[in-house]
Amino acid sequence: MNEAKRYHPLIIVYRIFKLLRNSFVFAFYLFVIKWGAESTFLTYGRLLFILLFGFSIVSIVYNWFTNTYKLDNASFHIYKGLFTKTKRTIPFSKIQNVSRHSSTFHLTFNVTSITFETSMADKDASVSFPVISREEADRIDDHIANPKSFDSNDVNTAQTDHSRTIHFTPTKKDIIRASFTSLSFLAVIPIMISLYSKINRMMDADRTSEVLISSMKDSWLVVSILTVVTIAAFVLFGIVRTIVKYGKYEISSDGERIHIVKGLINKTSFSILKSKVQAIEIKQSPIKRLAGTAEVKLTSAGSLDIDEDTLEVNSLYPFLPVQRAYDMISEILPSYEVTSDMNRLPKKSFWVRMLKPSWLWIISTTVLFYFKPSVLNVEQAWWIISISLCIIIGAARWLDYFHTQYTLNNQFIQLKTGSLTTTLFVSKRDKIIEVATTQNVYQKRIGLSSVKTINRAKPVKHKGVHDVPIELADSFYSWYMRRYQETKVE
Amino acid sequence: MPEQRLSKEAVKIWIMKGAIMELLGFSTLGILFYLDYLFGWKDWIGWILIGITFISVVMAVWALFIEPFLLYKNWRYEVSEQFLQLKFGAINEAHHLVPMTKIQSVATNQGPFLRKYGLSSLTIQTMGSSHSIPALPEETAQQLRNNIAQFAQIKEVDE
Repeated sequence: MNEAKRYHPLIIVYRIFKLLRNSFVFAFYLFVIKWGAESTFLTYGRLLFILLFGFSIVSIVYNWFTNTYKLDNASFHIYKGLFTKTKRTIPFSKIQNVSRHSSTFHLTFNVTSITFETSMADKDASVSFPVISREEADRIDDHIANPKSFDSNDVNTAQTDHSRTIHFTPTKKDIIRASFTSLSFLAVIPIMISLYSKINRMMDADRTSEVLISSMKDSWLVVSILTVVTIAAFVLFGIVRTIVKYGKYEISSDGERIHIVKGLINKTSFSILKSKVQAIEIKQSPIKRLAGTAEVKLTSAGSLDIDEDTLEVNSLYPFLPVQRAYDMISEILPSYEVTSDMNRLPKKSFWVRMLKPSWLWIISTTVLFYFKPSVLNVEQAWWIISISLCIIIGAARWLDYFHTQYTLNNQFIQLKTGSLTTTLFVSKRDKIIEVATTQNVYQKRIGLSSVKTINRAKPVKHKGVHDVPIELADSFYSWYMRRYQETKVE
Repeated sequence: MPEQRLSKEAVKIWIMKGAIMELLGFSTLGILFYLDYLFGWKDWIGWILIGITFISVVMAVWALFIEPFLLYKNWRYEVSEQFLQLKFGAINEAHHLVPMTKIQSVATNQGPFLRKYGLSSLTIQTMGSSHSIPALPEETAQQLRNNIAQFAQIKEVDE
């Protein structure tokens, strides 16, 4: 085990597969569409393509032969290259979160991918195994959670509680609620449009649809049946999509870590050390507010990208019933405390907010006034747009004022903001890396202030509330000064 | 609350820097006026130029005779074993509080103007942002840099 190991051989297949996928468009263009056509550009293009393609294949194989990794009892060692050798050492203590993802490729060969994210700003910030056998992934994961020396056989005595408690798996009711509140049935529309345009191209659809429409006019029955069928299709599609995306979901935790597993077909799992959770966010869109659900997100200092696309891996189930969400936070993160007892903004901040000039409105009105465009043959459109914009901005500010809440609760800070979608941000004093309070002219005159916090995340998370009473800003400042009560230094 | 102030020479430096910027700005305007006169541009361009000139004069008075004094009057900083505190701004006031343990790098910088008066500026980078203290006497800046570097070495458990 203590020998440096090569990566899983299937990684060659995986990389070639990806290469083929990425170069497909070029190849198709050069060798199929323009087949037979001759030009200098095409000749050299083909040559260059073949050269690059060959080079990529060689480098994929070469990389497999020369890249190795090793684990000792404290860190990863990653070796690269034969001629220019690089060696990277990544201590386990720097790892912020672990994510696994199994795509169709991985499932076919019964393997998986695993990524260990650190908080470094570098491109090489993560230790990633794009293809790895399940056993090896489990072994590495376990080893990092509980590193023991490979040389000596002494079993580490500091055994931590590894029994997992499952906190949440969605019930049928949850899934149905999720499929409606996520509006995922609307995703059928772009699919239908693309389908329609494809059919359109294949046959002379204009005439067909004309016939269809004229026949539809004749019978109300047909129309109503069609409508019902369409709606049913929408709903069914939405539910299927939700089941695929959120059907298999499991939130569990052991003594040290939180685990989130999701996905029916493509499996993704995410795990983070409880002590590495930088902040929690509870998000509610208007629809979720109506349905009484919320999304809970964990903030990690490591990045959350897997395989180029950002998956929302850090989200506990996005459609949790609100009360369940609050309860679960205290279950999985006993060191966190969320209180519903929060302060609202004073009346005077309402006026500061409403009377603050809106640059968006000023600029768009100036532009509209200058061009006076007529929309749909309505010449007065410009001032109608301007006034509606003014009303929208006003309404958004009113909602934001109405939703804004804040509190300092022992070592926790809670800030709630947002006009349509509200976000409740909860963090601990020792996880906040910097604070600031600011005051502009108006705020100074009537005794208000803005407070800001910065947390570690990728990218760095800035949060804050505008127009809080100056007394709060002062106590916020001295509250942060007392952070040395919790933090221990090495 | 932070107590330490910048070097008094800061005002002179800001005025000098401002003067150079204004000089550049006004000469550009002058060239535009000359071109306007030479090629007989459209009327409204002339009016816009006059408008810009008027605004520039007001801005210049602000930048040369008011802003530097206000900035100096309101700048405060403090470095303790635990925190770096910065407070600045006359019209919009900002108050930053940065724990020493979160500071990643600290450097002193000196441009030609600062050098002339034996001053340095100090830039401090943290995990989440960067800050600077604009004009400090050279020895103070170096002393601060070394102090901060030393305080910042202490690591919190669970970084």
